[in-house]
Amino acid sequence: MKLRRGLLIIGLLTPGLGLILALIGTVVYIAVSQSFGYYSLNGTSEFSTEFWSKMAGRKAFKRSIQYSIYIGVFSAIFSVALAYPLAIWLRKPFAGSNFIGAVLKAPLLVHGLVAAFLFINVISYHGILNQFMQWLGIWSEPRRLQNDPNAYGVLILQTWKNMPFALLLLTGAVQSISDDVLDAARDLGAGTWDRFRRIIAPLTVSGMQAAMVIIFIGAVADFSFQVIAGPTNKQSLSQLMVSFKGRGDWHSAAVVGVSLMMIALVGSAILAVVARMVMRGRIK
Amino acid sequence: MTVQRVNKILLIALLSVCAIWLIIPFTMAVLWSLVDPSEPWTADKVLPPVMSLFRWTDMWENSSLKSALIASYTLAPSAAVLSLLLALPTAFALGRISFPGRELAKMLCLLPLVVPPFITAIFFTSLLFQIGLSSWRPGAILFAHSVLFMPFAIRILTVSFEQVRQDHIDAARDLGASHWARFKVAYLPALKPGIFATLLIVFIQSIEEFAIAFIVGSPDVVTIPTLLYSALGQDYVRPNAAVLSLILVVPNVLLMLILERLLRSANPTLSSGKG
Repeated sequence: MKLRRGLLIIGLLTPGLGLILALIGTVVYIAVSQSFGYYSLNGTSEFSTEFWSKMAGRKAFKRSIQYSIYIGVFSAIFSVALAYPLAIWLRKPFAGSNFIGAVLKAPLLVHGLVAAFLFINVISYHGILNQFMQWLGIWSEPRRLQNDPNAYGVLILQTWKNMPFALLLLTGAVQSISDDVLDAARDLGAGTWDRFRRIIAPLTVSGMQAAMVIIFIGAVADFSFQVIAGPTNKQSLSQLMVSFKGRGDWHSAAVVGVSLMMIALVGSAILAVVARMVMRGRIK
Repeated sequence: MTVQRVNKILLIALLSVCAIWLIIPFTMAVLWSLVDPSEPWTADKVLPPVMSLFRWTDMWENSSLKSALIASYTLAPSAAVLSLLLALPTAFALGRISFPGRELAKMLCLLPLVVPPFITAIFFTSLLFQIGLSSWRPGAILFAHSVLFMPFAIRILTVSFEQVRQDHIDAARDLGASHWARFKVAYLPALKPGIFATLLIVFIQSIEEFAIAFIVGSPDVVTIPTLLYSALGQDYVRPNAAVLSLILVVPNVLLMLILERLLRSANPTLSSGKG
């Protein structure tokens, strides 16, 4: 009877969870194997660390790692930092608050590529932003804002696209704090900043961590924003991986892919721990 | 006086947020999609000098837009149905049977969401090459979409299965209902909103998916996102990109609004028939 039950459960899980594990497991397995020279598509398959050591010596690879981490970390920080005050502001319903919430969350419905197009359309050389600044007389001539070397464009896009997600998670967390707690703190003389630091921050830390980690993983692996709006002299890890694959160099693509997975994993663990420490007030 | 002032500031804040956040970008896109090629829209003019629907009809007739629409809109419903069918047994097990390791199984179901999409795309392609199925592109994309978006399906359907009330099932059984009849009267009413929500969310995800369609599908299969990507890249013509952007974004916004309605109505009292 117990065996039958076990078999039934395994049978039920196989088409769903089973397929998920099979696909993701195979994908990760092939990526790791190919990074060590196995499963070669155009040569001999044998164990080799050559692809790792060659990649480690490449300047472009190091630059990509730094650049992707930069995009991932700052996208996560900006999205969360912008979402926090908005979530607190929208905690209590007021006239128009639903409308503001809907407008702020609308980017969730907009495809990343569409967002990138809308953005470069606004900041292009003869775009509306350039014209507006000239009309105000602040800039005397149009400026080249597209594909800026510091990737501010990519960071703005990532924040535009991800802030609503952070807002969604944080609004839920902030709304679950009862008024009693905040009123008590106010009665005891806590100012706005103290109420945030000592009550709201510790009670919303897990929602904030979740937002940070998910946004970081998405942004560190960014491809489309980088290709369309990013600096032309730098490549993100995804972009580097796709370009290796395009040249048929599967082993190098695998090295970049495995590095990207490790960075996403380790990076999100570090971010989660640091975020918790900051929010719990251990680092001031 | 002060209340009025606060309201006024709030209203101005609201309007400017709205404008910067959504209205300006989308208005620009709509205007660019209406630029007639007979006279270019230069920087010194506030509005395009000649406006027409030429770009829309031109894109419709002379680009791969039609085949991309067909590809996207056959792929997405198929992926939605396949994902639903594959997810149902797992969701039943997770929602109705308690077994050791159930929480772990629920966590593992989320795995596709944390692996970066381009890694999945590239090494799934590599897998297809290894097993000699690399020419089987549409099927491969369909399979990948169905599996990768299953986390949403399993999540939603698990909740739906949890909401099926045991006393309804027992009552049906006591009254002598067969397996099928029990499913129809006890399970189906509670599952219906979850099934619709699953179909809709996988549909939207599949329509929007870029990495798999781009890497696995190139160069034979063109979907709307991959078409938009090439319109933004090697053959960038701004009015055409504007047309494609609007084609991609408008149906999805409508579908998402329906989805939100559905999920809101998916509460246990409504779907089980009593409070």
